[in-house]
Amino acid sequence: MTALGTTRRDPAAAWRHIDFLLVGATLAIAILSPLMVYSASRTSLEAIGAEPTFLVVRHIGFLLAGAAVMVVAASVDYRRVRDFTPVIYAAVCALLLLVLTPLGSEVRGQQSWFQFGPLSLQPAELAKLAVILGLAAYGSTQRGDLDLRRLSVALVVAGIPMGLILLQPEVGMLLMIFVPMVVTILLIAGARPRHLAVLVALGIFGIVGAFQLEVVADYQKERLTAFLDPTGDTQRSSYNLNQSKIAIGAGGLTGAGLFQGSQTNLAFVPEQPTDFIFTVVGEELGFVGAATLLFLYAILVWRVWRAAQLARDFFGTLVCVGVLAMLVFSIFQNVGMTMGIMPITGIPLPLMSYGGTAVLTTFAALGLVLNVHMRRFA
Amino acid sequence: MTADTPRLRLSIVGVITLSLFLAMFARLYYLQVLDHESYRVAAETNQVRIVREPAPRGRILDREGRVLVDNRPSTVVTVDRSELRSLSTQQREVLLARLARTLGEPVSVLERRLADVRVSPVVPVAVARDVDPTVVTRIRENQEAFPAVAVRQEAVRTYPHGMVAAHVLGYIGEINADELEARRDRDYRGGDLIGKAGVELMYEDDLRGRSGIRKLEVDSRGRVLRDLGERAPVQGNDLRLSIDLDLQVLAEQTLADALGAARTRGDHNRRPFVAPAGAAVVLDVTDGSVLAMASHPTYDPSRFVGGITQAEFAALIDEAHHAPFTNRAVQGQYPPGSTFKLVTSVAGLRSGVINRNTTINDTGLFVIPNCRGESCRFRNAGGRSHGPVDVVRALTVSSNVFYYNIGSQLWERRGLIGDLIQQTAREFGMGERTGVPLGSESGGLVLDPDAFQQRHEANPVAFPEGQWRVGMNANLAIGEAVVLVTPLQLANAYAAFANGGTLFTPAVARDVRTQGGEVVRQLAPRVIRTIDLPPEIRDPIHQGLVNAVAASSGTAAAAFAGFPLQSYPVAGKTGTGQVPGKQDNALFVAYAPANEPRYAVAVVMEEAGFGGSAAAPVARRLLEHLAGLIDEPGDVEPVELVQGVPD
Repeated sequence: MTALGTTRRDPAAAWRHIDFLLVGATLAIAILSPLMVYSASRTSLEAIGAEPTFLVVRHIGFLLAGAAVMVVAASVDYRRVRDFTPVIYAAVCALLLLVLTPLGSEVRGQQSWFQFGPLSLQPAELAKLAVILGLAAYGSTQRGDLDLRRLSVALVVAGIPMGLILLQPEVGMLLMIFVPMVVTILLIAGARPRHLAVLVALGIFGIVGAFQLEVVADYQKERLTAFLDPTGDTQRSSYNLNQSKIAIGAGGLTGAGLFQGSQTNLAFVPEQPTDFIFTVVGEELGFVGAATLLFLYAILVWRVWRAAQLARDFFGTLVCVGVLAMLVFSIFQNVGMTMGIMPITGIPLPLMSYGGTAVLTTFAALGLVLNVHMRRFA
Repeated sequence: MTADTPRLRLSIVGVITLSLFLAMFARLYYLQVLDHESYRVAAETNQVRIVREPAPRGRILDREGRVLVDNRPSTVVTVDRSELRSLSTQQREVLLARLARTLGEPVSVLERRLADVRVSPVVPVAVARDVDPTVVTRIRENQEAFPAVAVRQEAVRTYPHGMVAAHVLGYIGEINADELEARRDRDYRGGDLIGKAGVELMYEDDLRGRSGIRKLEVDSRGRVLRDLGERAPVQGNDLRLSIDLDLQVLAEQTLADALGAARTRGDHNRRPFVAPAGAAVVLDVTDGSVLAMASHPTYDPSRFVGGITQAEFAALIDEAHHAPFTNRAVQGQYPPGSTFKLVTSVAGLRSGVINRNTTINDTGLFVIPNCRGESCRFRNAGGRSHGPVDVVRALTVSSNVFYYNIGSQLWERRGLIGDLIQQTAREFGMGERTGVPLGSESGGLVLDPDAFQQRHEANPVAFPEGQWRVGMNANLAIGEAVVLVTPLQLANAYAAFANGGTLFTPAVARDVRTQGGEVVRQLAPRVIRTIDLPPEIRDPIHQGLVNAVAASSGTAAAAFAGFPLQSYPVAGKTGTGQVPGKQDNALFVAYAPANEPRYAVAVVMEEAGFGGSAAAPVARRLLEHLAGLIDEPGDVEPVELVQGVPD
């Protein structure tokens, strides 16, 4: 036995193949994020007489918890995770059902939160993992060939949690994250391109139908379509977008400097610690900082893509592809929204935005990718 | 499916991912590098609010520098109605309920104020004035809960002496669309206050200061974080009036007292006098400046502060309530009655139809030559006969017969000398506006035969008579026909006579000065014209006016009984103006000291009886003050009317 062979049998041996680039990029983003959250929240908190560090302390807590979750998600062999997928899937669906009952809380017309004292949980975030694992588990058993019947089964797997999310109704996340993510996974899982084309066409029909039948609330329509007419009414939906673009544009090449952004300090950008966190980066760190952050995300996404390529089995590939899609569409949707190339929806920027469940979900997803990557030989 | 398919497809996903990232980089580069400048400017203007601060108006002072109109700060809560409209119905209801609770007013009151059509829709409307500081704090500290609501400081007018000189001072109000349009290139904005009447209107440019500009750094909720500097507002200059506060107070009080006293008396039909209204004017004959100008009834100018309601204003201009808002001293038009004999005397002496020695026998009756019937017979007031009268005695006893004669003779010579009475009246400023800077002045009326004819032709129903006859001229000679004067015109005509013939534009202001008292602009007297009054004309008239007050037969003798005429001689003329269907108006005009004239006083009291009994006592009281016979205006005895004689 070679030394290499010895280490392979060692249960800890997988850690030798850990993707440091992915871990490094993750940590770099996670270290930048509290600074940005603090900058975005301190003046607003001061203004209402609260502790300016209130939000960032909680955020750091979520990040630390997220790091722990990532370690756990990387440690347990992903094949055991695959075995547990039905349990995870069922549990998440149960949570999605429960959140619709009076146990859940309504925020801005969406029944999407559980409140546990000071903590809150957003099951729709967890549902991303459930859908990824569910589709990956089912898809990996079909040898890369999804005919219409199998595709239909896969669609049911994805459709149950998505249907429950539609009931909340968390339309933005559904349309902007879940739909492209599911399509991506199905593409890799072997769905026929023409089936997917029909599916996409049906999806578009569905969206138009939803708008026409007024399943979607007016304010959601407005928020979703505000990006189409940014100069229209600056006072309303696109006010947010204009302020967001002003913040980023005002940052210039090198930015106003940490904690120096006037748009940020004067609270012109709404929802800044959460949905519009990228504007803080843009205004205070400038093109240099914002481009660096995008570059870090690019490395992250590249490493996830690479993990999908290198995965030992099809389940691993599909999990990585799911995580890849989740990350890419979240990043593009969020960053695109702040720059006025995507509609305004409440999609957090992975690892940057304040928000416990999203942070934990992202860390868990990255943990799974690390898991797949480091067990590529075992 | 080939084994390569997932790999191929994964590559496609990779390409799509890469292009999405490239799109983000490109967009970021465009916003932050290529288009940076416009966003930098937008961010800057975002956080800076430019607030215009109207300047406090200058004060209005009396001749001695005593403050008649001042400013005080008032905290005003306003609601921006365009912002309010952008809220949802529910939000609006919540906001109004909250605001009503905070202000301690019912919602209905707020809604009524918000519906005020007098405020320009683009200007935040004031919903509460003189707001308590704790309320202000509650709104400011919780600004997010009060969208569209703002708090601002306003300087509002305050009147330390209450209603004194209300008509002279005028008032200010919110600028209207026409006024705004007329001042488009000046620093006026909707919602600004502007002078609407009186000296507030006429000296607007002096009183209004220069508004200031403040740059404030605000956050997205409009909370002010920093003051970025300002151009401080410059308060308007003070206006020093020619009005003497003490004399003004005395004039208003005496006029009101005398009208009240007249109401306790009865006319020849034993009906009590209505005596609803009147005016009194005191001029400095040496420069035409107004020392006092009283008009009764009057009003409280502070009611205009913060805007007056339609109903309140309607009451102020309602004739049924004798229109307190009307400044009768410049807007009231009255037949001058016998006070007009000054003009007729000048005309008669100038024409040569009489000279100072012309004497006629006043039998109490004048019959137009070659005319028969009652309409040709003109009588003295009360049918009295005065015996032989020359011009001096005619003025003293107020002989109508003497002046009927002059009027009749001047009519006969009309072809040679024209309408001499009317010409003389106009020379003394009657029938034209004096130009006193108070706004809305009446010109009075001096009709000549041509105008009389035209008036008839234009409106035969209202003016059935168009043919001027000799009887018209006779009545004109005693100031009873086709001539109307304002009390100010009357005072000004006598002032011109008193000073030797200089007719001034009456001035109400002496100078414009800074807050520190430094004179910016001296308001020099303005001469309208000089009237030629040679001694052979002036002296007998002057003597007649002196005797009217001093001689025992004088029509004003009773009113001046006990007045130290030896040391302070007074020249004056009573008048009793007849208005069809009404009781007689009492008039009295005087100047004093007669030997070296300084003051002219005119008093007109509507439906109050003889000039000698009702109006002369008012003038006497004012002259007592001017002669230094009373010190404190508040200490004087109520004015007492006297038993006068008809004139």
